[in-house]
Amino acid sequence: MSNTSNTLKIHTFTCAWCGLTVTRNAADDSVRNHCPSCLHSRHVTDHVEGGPSDCEGRMTPIAIAVLRTGDWMLVHRCVRCDELTSNPVCADDNQLMLMRMAVRPLAQPPFPLEALGSL
Amino acid sequence: MPRRTRRDEAHHQRRKEVLHAAGGHRANDFRCVGCRLTVSVRAPGTAHRNHCPNCLASLHVDRRIPGDRDSACRGRMEAVAIFARQDGEWMIVHQCLSCDELSTNRIAGDDNVLALMQLALKPLQDTERASRTLLAL
Repeated sequence: MSNTSNTLKIHTFTCAWCGLTVTRNAADDSVRNHCPSCLHSRHVTDHVEGGPSDCEGRMTPIAIAVLRTGDWMLVHRCVRCDELTSNPVCADDNQLMLMRMAVRPLAQPPFPLEALGSL
Repeated sequence: MPRRTRRDEAHHQRRKEVLHAAGGHRANDFRCVGCRLTVSVRAPGTAHRNHCPNCLASLHVDRRIPGDRDSACRGRMEAVAIFARQDGEWMIVHQCLSCDELSTNRIAGDDNVLALMQLALKPLQDTERASRTLLAL
């Protein structure tokens, strides 16, 4: 019979996109809800009514929002039900993926950027 | 500002039940909650204008479908982020200041270019993170 009080419990989840096994608690003791490698998440909490959501869809990172404090928030959208959530970025999140997300709109500007110089 | 046209990958707007202009709920102009600018409902490039073209502020009145007027919040929504869709179309992410709800809307042809660029460049204002990313390469 195993002594459960003595057993180390590590809560993990598997990333819905890249399949990486991720620990639920980050190094700075914050609760993680997205994969640190590909930044994808899963729609498990209902943000309108609170509590668990029965959608369980994959959530893709779409944008970086900046708080007044300068901290970055990651905006996710559920591919199944189009729900939007925002979560703080973790310290060990893939910096290249974050930077790619931040400069993505600038790579495809809807107006010619040369015209900005004449304003 | 002239639009950079991509004829080959033209994206058709998703059809909605409620239209703002054609006999819908809002046949008249609206006044911006942020800068008090009177905004016409007729916008170039989009059929569902929901934000002020000058300061990009919006009002939390719709819940899921644009124009459904299903939300009881009526809070002020501020533009927090820009993201580019697969086809290169820019979208604005709004966040409600009173209930933290998020929503997205396409940019219109007459949106303030400087305000849009300011929003898109916001994550890059802090150069420390960018240099850290370069060092991690």
